[in-house]
Amino acid sequence: MKLSRRDLLVWSAGAAAGLLATPVPWKILDDTSIWSQNWPWIPQPARCPVETRQSVCTLCPKGCGLRVRMAGGWAVGVAGLNTHPLSRGALCPLAYAAHQLNWHPQRLRVVQHRTNPSSWEQARAAFAKASKEGPVVIIDGYPGRAASALFETYTEGRDGNYCVVPSPEIRALTPYESWTGVPAHCLGYDLENTRTIVSFGAPLLDGWGTPGRFTRIWADRAAGRSDPELRLIQIDSSLSRTAARAWRWVRSREGTHAALASGLARALLEQNLVPAHGPIPATTLAESAVQCDISMEAILELGRSLVAKSPTLVIARDDSPAIAALNVLLGSVGARGGVVRHSQHSNLRSYTGSDVQNARAVLIDSSVPWNFMPQTDAEVFRFAAWHGASTKADWLLPAPGFLEELTDVPTPPASSLASYAVAPPLVKSATEVHSAAQFLSSIDARLIPTEKMIYTRCEDLFRRRAGTVHAHSAIPISELASVQKLVEQLWQGAVWVGEPSPDKLRCRLQEWPSATRSSPPDDGITDWIPPVMPALASKLYVESTLREAAERRKAWAPATAW
Amino acid sequence: MRRWRNPLVFAFGVAVALFLGWVAFPRVLYSQKHQPLDFLHKTHAEKSGLTDCAECHVIREDGIFAGLPATEKCAGCHSERIGESKAEAILVDSYIKPAQETPWLVYSRQPANVWFSHAIHVKRANLSCAECHSSYGEQDSVRMYQVNRISGYSRDLWGHSMSRLRNGPHEGMKMSDCEKCHRQRNVEVGCLGCHQ
Repeated sequence: MKLSRRDLLVWSAGAAAGLLATPVPWKILDDTSIWSQNWPWIPQPARCPVETRQSVCTLCPKGCGLRVRMAGGWAVGVAGLNTHPLSRGALCPLAYAAHQLNWHPQRLRVVQHRTNPSSWEQARAAFAKASKEGPVVIIDGYPGRAASALFETYTEGRDGNYCVVPSPEIRALTPYESWTGVPAHCLGYDLENTRTIVSFGAPLLDGWGTPGRFTRIWADRAAGRSDPELRLIQIDSSLSRTAARAWRWVRSREGTHAALASGLARALLEQNLVPAHGPIPATTLAESAVQCDISMEAILELGRSLVAKSPTLVIARDDSPAIAALNVLLGSVGARGGVVRHSQHSNLRSYTGSDVQNARAVLIDSSVPWNFMPQTDAEVFRFAAWHGASTKADWLLPAPGFLEELTDVPTPPASSLASYAVAPPLVKSATEVHSAAQFLSSIDARLIPTEKMIYTRCEDLFRRRAGTVHAHSAIPISELASVQKLVEQLWQGAVWVGEPSPDKLRCRLQEWPSATRSSPPDDGITDWIPPVMPALASKLYVESTLREAAERRKAWAPATAW
Repeated sequence: MRRWRNPLVFAFGVAVALFLGWVAFPRVLYSQKHQPLDFLHKTHAEKSGLTDCAECHVIREDGIFAGLPATEKCAGCHSERIGESKAEAILVDSYIKPAQETPWLVYSRQPANVWFSHAIHVKRANLSCAECHSSYGEQDSVRMYQVNRISGYSRDLWGHSMSRLRNGPHEGMKMSDCEKCHRQRNVEVGCLGCHQ
């Protein structure tokens, strides 16, 4: 029997058909996909005993508690710390993957001078020269740290400026500064004791404040209940994630929150729902209804809802004074369940464009979001752990990445109690990196190193003997035998939490603020983005709409400009 | 005969492919490795009274599973040879006396991106070791360690059956096996439960 070409083709067809009924193609597909996880250029931690360490997240100022799994000196996993009094085990999506950020291809590894490779020595020489030639401005995104104190000291000695790019939570508290005389970063919201929250576009359930703080309160007291213990009224132009889960969503035109706040104030006063002392808004109820595209009856009814379950707290997304004034009208400033003071600190200077006009050099700390860039002709020294794509900075200086640096974590924005924690360096950087504080210390040897400052702060806390240290359990600081014990606890991931401030907040409102929309801040930043470039976590962070994307909020654009 | 020629050739092609796919392919895909020495679970259970797995495979106080016992633990009984077997000689001379860890090949080692807590499964869910590791602790011989040449992982993760249809109730440690067991017990775990 002679084999023909036809036989060979038929046999091949049979073999191909038969192969589909075997594990060969499917198993190879499965194994190849697994093999792709283990390509040689993907860093793999050594197989060794795993230990768990506690720390605090430093990606943004929210200070969430971390449980970090370590293997062979590498962080191999991050999870929330249930015993943390503020975050209570919750984390944002970015923090869950933060241990991988240190290995990201866009990690900044070498000093760059106008996109050309340079060295630390050249950067130091250039900054030292600039410091001698004119004023230096240092911009911080995470005030209150030991490093921040070092920045202040450096600029004070050189006729320079230290200024801060505040987070949206702090920005929303700035109107109270002029009415109470207390700096915004010393104020917070007593969410734990309030019964009605009116949010003017603040993404309370999408990463606002310390993730976990409000979401846990909401889960305990409101989620899934028709008549919740805590009422959340969300005023938003679109059905944001917070609006979708709130007790009530009030839809108003984009950009008319301040007008609605004035209308609500009118509704409260006209219905005698609040004591009529103090200024009255100029905007009438009818004008407010037209501007916001909400009926007058709805605003009146909303006014009644505000006082149905008190205390009531109003939270704004931005620094609109008209919205903040509602809290004054409701008597929520300085009261339980309202805007409270958590600590006493000196005033901080928020960044304005004029700060850098006459500067010779501008140093931007790695805590400042990537989308911030001052409009200046000064020489800009930008510290960053990750390369944020195109930048106008003259110098790009590689900063320590996630958990690579000893830093302290002061009270997070919007917190009602003062807190203090320390994030020790758990992992080593593969390349030479320096924080802005280390960089300045290497130029000026007179500056006190941050390590020493952190220790001094621990000594101060211990000396005051007030507050509680939250480790595996809550221990009153008065029960700790020595400052060494406190340092030990903090270095192991414990958090010190202070007691409610005994100081009364006195709030005086001379006239009702204008309902016109406040101007955008000088730096153009309206949303806080952690100082890692957004592209790093685009899938995980941005698409998860942890914070509502600006495009989404603007989905329902106003038909008329107001 | 001419009429049946094509179907017969086609069927022959199918048969060859089936033979290669089901019989030859697994032999090519998995390479076989010997353990450094023959360890007999059954002998230890019967002669030494080590009937509880946790006596050697301990879960530490902090909840972390210590995995395989260190050589130091073996040295508690085997500081000197207590038998004439070849395995005894290897254990004492090659590992205990030089104080070196035995390079065991772990059948159930998971990829690095999987976080599995023995403490939660054993202490909270009260699962017996055999639920996942089958009756390995009762065997009186050491199995050959089969490693997948492509993925580099043990065959135990996939299970003995190439189709996975004939895997025993305690065979296989793929993600689908975890999901199946969780579904049966009505325990929900999100992605981050295991891939932290």
